[in-house]
Amino acid sequence: MKDRLSQALSKSKADYTEIRFERDDSSAIAYWGEEIENVSSHKHSGGIVRACTKGGWGLATFDSLDDLAHSVAEACECAALVGREKTQLAETPVVDEVRPAKLVRDFRGVSFDEKLDLVTRYNDIVLHTDPAIETSHVWYADSFRTVHFASSRGSYFCEERPRVVLYYVAVARDGALVQRATDGVASAVSYDAAVGAEQRVAETARRAAALLKAPACQGGSTTVVLDQELAGVFAHEAFGHLSEADHLYENPKMRELMHLGREMGGKQLDIIDHGAMPGMIGTQAFDDEGMPTGKTYLVKEGVLVGHLHSLETAAKMGGRPTGNARAISRAYEPIVRMTNTYIENGDLSFDELLAGVDDGIYACGSMGGETMMEMFTFSARYGYRIRGGKVGELVRDVVLTGNVFETLRAIDGFGDDLQIMQLPGGCGKGGQSPLPVTFGSPHLRIRDVVIGGK
Amino acid sequence: MRNPMAKKATGLLQKALATAQKKGASAGRLSLHHSQSIGCLFENGRLKKADTEQRVSVSVELVVDGREGRSSCNSLEDLDEVVERALSLAKAGSAVHFDAYPPPAALTPVKTHSQRTAALSRQSMIESSQKIVDAIRKYDPELFIEAGAGRQESEGVLVTSGGVCHRAEHSAWQLDAWVQRTEGTDMLFSDFGRSWKDLNEFYDPDVIIEHILEDLRNARQVAPAPTGPATALLSPDMLATLLAPAQMGINGRYVAKGDSPLRGRLGERILDPCFTIVDDPHLDYCNGAGQISDDGIPTRKMAIVDGGVLKTFLYDLDSAAMAAAEPTGHNNCSPHSIDVAPGRRPSEELLASIGDGIYIKQLMGFGQSNIINGDFSSNVALGYRIRNGEIVGRVKNTMVAGNVYELLKDKVHLSSDKDPVRRMPYAVLEGIQVSAAEQK
Repeated sequence: MKDRLSQALSKSKADYTEIRFERDDSSAIAYWGEEIENVSSHKHSGGIVRACTKGGWGLATFDSLDDLAHSVAEACECAALVGREKTQLAETPVVDEVRPAKLVRDFRGVSFDEKLDLVTRYNDIVLHTDPAIETSHVWYADSFRTVHFASSRGSYFCEERPRVVLYYVAVARDGALVQRATDGVASAVSYDAAVGAEQRVAETARRAAALLKAPACQGGSTTVVLDQELAGVFAHEAFGHLSEADHLYENPKMRELMHLGREMGGKQLDIIDHGAMPGMIGTQAFDDEGMPTGKTYLVKEGVLVGHLHSLETAAKMGGRPTGNARAISRAYEPIVRMTNTYIENGDLSFDELLAGVDDGIYACGSMGGETMMEMFTFSARYGYRIRGGKVGELVRDVVLTGNVFETLRAIDGFGDDLQIMQLPGGCGKGGQSPLPVTFGSPHLRIRDVVIGGK
Repeated sequence: MRNPMAKKATGLLQKALATAQKKGASAGRLSLHHSQSIGCLFENGRLKKADTEQRVSVSVELVVDGREGRSSCNSLEDLDEVVERALSLAKAGSAVHFDAYPPPAALTPVKTHSQRTAALSRQSMIESSQKIVDAIRKYDPELFIEAGAGRQESEGVLVTSGGVCHRAEHSAWQLDAWVQRTEGTDMLFSDFGRSWKDLNEFYDPDVIIEHILEDLRNARQVAPAPTGPATALLSPDMLATLLAPAQMGINGRYVAKGDSPLRGRLGERILDPCFTIVDDPHLDYCNGAGQISDDGIPTRKMAIVDGGVLKTFLYDLDSAAMAAAEPTGHNNCSPHSIDVAPGRRPSEELLASIGDGIYIKQLMGFGQSNIINGDFSSNVALGYRIRNGEIVGRVKNTMVAGNVYELLKDKVHLSSDKDPVRRMPYAVLEGIQVSAAEQK
């Protein structure tokens, strides 16, 4: 493969050219209620050529390696058509490596029957834990992706990227009122991450039933304590996307806004993106431009100290490439993405965080989040009222929003219990969704967060 | 298209189906989809990227002893392997509720492929995008502007054990722009785009420009949001967003499985009487136009809601059998192309009639709530305050919440003018809950 890609690259007339070819084999088992909804298996291969000439980019995708030469020519032609300036791409070390996956328990060696038994067992737990449960959605999926990359700089890598995902939803009903509770896990290293979840599945079902009786969260501005999962989503949505340099590099006002040295929050605020954390679903040895991944401080002691870069954004912004150019699959170009993003530990216990809240909300888990740079929003799976520094009654429909810059400064309590979540789903950007990422944080306390509701 | 493959694929898919049937498949559907597209993108007002994409997908679904296995690939060379996979998976697969794929039936002619779209050159697309960039930059040179265009051709083949063997060709173009205004930490985003299958009068950069400029003009000032229950004017896009839970509610699979809040409510008034909603895949060249569903069932124009009354659910073959209903020819039980009938008064009059309210153009995080029930609680990504019938400024740090079934049940007014591509009017509704952080 290396020789084949190199030979194709040798025909390129562009300033810079790269080819990424991937194979992906995946399978899925899903229940909906009592019945199996889907049993499927998929096999895909293909790739994309990117060429850059005079700063203009040309892309060409292909499904068959027989089309490789044609795709290189097309990409070069497109790049030559649009390029008007100077190609600016940061230097990268030339790599030549093969990185097989290191799986503790390889799901390819697990029989289909064993996987089906696992999903069936979990589905039964969801459906029969509580009489209020009306239906279930339980979903298991695995995929084994092999990525070959070669560039006109002489780099080549082959990296295997496996993934296992388990996701379960309990739906409870009381008359016209329906409540859902969700949970799951994802892993890049072992099928066993999906095994032994019986207790968590049962808790999820009980929570769905309990949410039926919980009052809706009142709307308005309040103090919130976020659990590690939701605080991690906050870090991702509220700040992480702002640090992606492709939102900044061609936008002078955004560059000015997100200049290094800007105060983003208090001295305890450290935010990190780490693409080389061992065994995490957001980890890759190399990004999809051939750059080795690594740890990047984004915020240190409250000050913006780094951005996430591709080769082009690094060159144009005078930064160093950080290994954050990622593509979700063979059919897409790499764009700047997060990997494993987290807020560093603080020093307050959970009780100490609560003690500072007379009337607020303890928001837990994440049902998703979204950002438009200045504003962010995310939904908790559930919440509790905090009264007089103590966790009180369960509440539902906890949707939070805020201004990114104000909210980061409004964090006034950092817990000492950092956790990094490996969950199903992933990040969406530029039509590429869901990209596997992790996010994490200790518990956080934040003042003046707007909660939607009546 | 370069290297069309539908003709070759037809024979291969039919042969693969026959092989599967010899190996025990009692029913099956196999399909190929092949698309090619070209496009261009301007970033920060400069031509930045041009691309060529081609994609192939081959899908196999086989039924053995009443259970279905599915497999897919992106090369006809792997067809035999995915057939074997589907057969093997069917042993433990999802139970199918129908007996057989239906035989071929008469199809309504509808145009889905346009030669003039196929002939749209990259140079033309670059010129259209450049025109958008120049016009917006002239309004405000400090804006960050992205604009782009693309066109696509595709061919598809569907083969079923019912005897259906159908080939179709489609074309499509897209033209859109996205703008960001940044003042310190204040950011405004506006975007608008269009797509259609035929290169007709809808392909108009001036329309894109005007939508964006209107947003920018309306957002020159910031205004406080109303709080509590408010009257809301919804853009056509926003009305489509709010109707999304109802689209889930009429999904025949959700109905058959018991998840839909509309189950058992056919014949009931679920929306304001002003709503007449049709699914119409037979408007030539519309987005979603098509003659046949993936089950091999002819599509048809159907009334979903008439005068606010729920008339039908949408079923594919399997969910129809579960519900003991007639299949309606809907892939995944989703509409092909929704058309909402217009109201009586133009949108300018509807706006003028609002003494105090909010004009919502875009929400953030709409799908994150208990959406199938119709509940939502979302940030207003782009919205404006209305006072005395006029837009007085943009609202910020504002959330809206409610239940779409409650909000759209009564006291709704639809505009007489519609977005012709989205096939949606504007709407005014009462009682949306608004909450806002204090302006700092």
